[in-house]
Amino acid sequence: MRIIVCVKQVPATTEVKIDPINNTLIRDGLEAIMNPYDAHALEEGLRIASRLGGKVTTLSMGVPGVKEMLLDSLAVGAEEAVLLTDRKFAGADTLATSYALAAGIARIGDFGLIICGKQATDGDTAHVGPSIAEKLGIPHVTYVQKIEEITEDSLTCIRLTDDGTETVWVQLPAVITVVKTINTPRLPSISGLRKAQNAQVMAWGAADVSVDEEDIGIKGSATWVIKTFIPSFLTECKMLEGSAQGQARALVSELEQRGGIPW
Amino acid sequence: MIRMSSEYQDYLRDESRSTGHAEHIAFPVCEDDVREALGQAAGCRVTVQGARTGLAAGAVPRGGLILNLNKMNKILGLRYDDEKQCFLLRVQPGVLLSQVRRALHDLSFDISNWDEDAKTALSLLRKSGLWFFSPDPTETSATIGGMVACNASGARSFHYGPTRDYVEALRVVFSDTSVADLRRGREMVSSGQFSFQTDSGSIVSGTLPSLPLPQVKNASGYYLQEDMDLLDLFIGSEGTLGVITEVEIRLQPLPASIWGVTVFLPGTGEALGFVQDLRTELSPVAIELFDHRALQLLREQGHAGNLEDDHHTAVYAEFHGNAKEEVRNMVFRSGEIAVRHGAREERTWVATNYHDLERLYLFRHATPETVNSLIDRRRQRDPGITKLGTDMAVPDDELVAIVDLYNRGIKAEGLEAVMFGHIGDNHIHVNILPRSMDDYVRGRQLYHDWAREVIARGGTVSAEHGVGKMKVAMLRDMVGPKGVQMMRDVKRIFDPSGVLCMGNVFDEDVTVGEIS
Repeated sequence: MRIIVCVKQVPATTEVKIDPINNTLIRDGLEAIMNPYDAHALEEGLRIASRLGGKVTTLSMGVPGVKEMLLDSLAVGAEEAVLLTDRKFAGADTLATSYALAAGIARIGDFGLIICGKQATDGDTAHVGPSIAEKLGIPHVTYVQKIEEITEDSLTCIRLTDDGTETVWVQLPAVITVVKTINTPRLPSISGLRKAQNAQVMAWGAADVSVDEEDIGIKGSATWVIKTFIPSFLTECKMLEGSAQGQARALVSELEQRGGIPW
Repeated sequence: MIRMSSEYQDYLRDESRSTGHAEHIAFPVCEDDVREALGQAAGCRVTVQGARTGLAAGAVPRGGLILNLNKMNKILGLRYDDEKQCFLLRVQPGVLLSQVRRALHDLSFDISNWDEDAKTALSLLRKSGLWFFSPDPTETSATIGGMVACNASGARSFHYGPTRDYVEALRVVFSDTSVADLRRGREMVSSGQFSFQTDSGSIVSGTLPSLPLPQVKNASGYYLQEDMDLLDLFIGSEGTLGVITEVEIRLQPLPASIWGVTVFLPGTGEALGFVQDLRTELSPVAIELFDHRALQLLREQGHAGNLEDDHHTAVYAEFHGNAKEEVRNMVFRSGEIAVRHGAREERTWVATNYHDLERLYLFRHATPETVNSLIDRRRQRDPGITKLGTDMAVPDDELVAIVDLYNRGIKAEGLEAVMFGHIGDNHIHVNILPRSMDDYVRGRQLYHDWAREVIARGGTVSAEHGVGKMKVAMLRDMVGPKGVQMMRDVKRIFDPSGVLCMGNVFDEDVTVGEIS
């Protein structure tokens, strides 16, 4: 089975700094890493491929520098990596991104399963996995925390819901998005890094995949970023002094005054 | 000063898990508060505390006043030293290591009380790439004052050296409340003589003996060398000479590329061979061991992660450099060395970025944490037992013999134990995990036997945790009664009434005047 894992490069922190003048992310000094959720997706792909036989292809969209991250995916065991890179893809929102990725997947072809992380740590939308499935006209299962059984034709998995879990059977090919508890991603080995050092990442432009240029990049995006900002949380700290009992009383009284106690 | 009550019980303990007693506690926020508390406590015993992360009971009080410096937690300023070409950060002693790391990583400081020069230095720092403070004890909630008090180190000290090497200046309040400002290179000992002026204008002078140091990583007793810097005496003196109220630490440029690799070897002998070749052929900044018992404990306690069943012994090595290619090359070469000792390159774990390094660090920290939680559970059943954790280092050519000694002892006594830690420095922590009081008694005897053997082989009884109150007898074996007496005499110069951190480094001195 060919398994395609979609991976995104993100800054190595969740505490991004924003340039107050032009509202863009300040990326200086920040390492770029594979979205941590995608690392779990890749690990699951590698485990399934070793169990069922088959290979893992990683796919990403971004600037040419994203090749480095894709080489990392080869170092942990992916067999091939594809980067969609073209100025025409730039400025894409999740709609245009999933359209382009779906086109990339169609060109790779012959896939049995597509795995994505549940969301990226920089955008946090969780749109792209399900959107890819819609574009490809195949089913999807989100928030998968365990694959119970997988064959060439179907899989049974446990997915997280707001109030518990549910077991889902799905026909393949399908898209699944995974949560972190599904596995512990492996780190690259020295031999994996040696292999990756001499490996190639396939770079495809807009013309290499079958897309309508009106539907990719900023042109194909239904949303535009007007302003990016870190929400401000106004906090106030008041130290309560005295004995433990005195502090407990003072705390209750503070909470009462501020409407924090519902009785 | 606050009278001790049940609310402050936690301050009677530290990470050594031993408990003391005290009558009062004070939480000074500035140097004047420290002086006031010492003035009020005149004649009483005073135990100085930081975050109480120490493992040798140095912060466990023996009566009198606890002087807890946690609230002296401000980063006071920054300057650039043209001559040394580095930044120096001035901090209060209660500042945490994690606080320093965070501030340096984010380049974000509370500068509300900084002077203009410090603010200018900060602007320069922000344009000068990232800088770091290299000492890296596992516990990042340690205070800088505590780290200075025991001359703390960590994995990276293998290359960068201990805390001592990064202390440029100290302010110290003595038990008579006078204050000294000590700066590296300024207050020097010459032909055994030293002299300096305190803030009150009085001259403190005296004679310092010299005490031969073991030629290994060391944190055992006072640092007493010929023509030494007086500053170095206070580093590692475990609070017995004065109370540190300010520290200036030296920063270094953070290497652009940091990679870590964990290699799995098929046996102890192969692991030792790998370590020996690694340190002669390459320049790692850290070499850490996890023996087969440590890996087995992780499996049994559910912390195996991606550990495979047949992984026997693990060695972690870290490489720093300014070019990625150079660091990658060193990691690849470490793989070739490992293969010579029976490892397989495809079964190594490599971290090439901070995110992945954090995972390897978590794995490293999992061993002591698993040990502690296991012992805590056993203590609920049998409160008399504690973990018996060693902190001894030997010279390079004694590594194989000492590991063999440890392994034979554990086996002969039928004890449960794990070995991990700083094998690059021949500084392995053996943790004996008693299952019963009988295990504990035999384990303690074994530990003392090992200590004598380590001393005989030119090693040290404490390489990084300090002597505290737990290793006083071992230090006596190491430096002899004369050595202890020398240290007592030195203490008497700075703390004539003998009130500071009673019981640390050496036994309470009955020859010191009565304590009221």
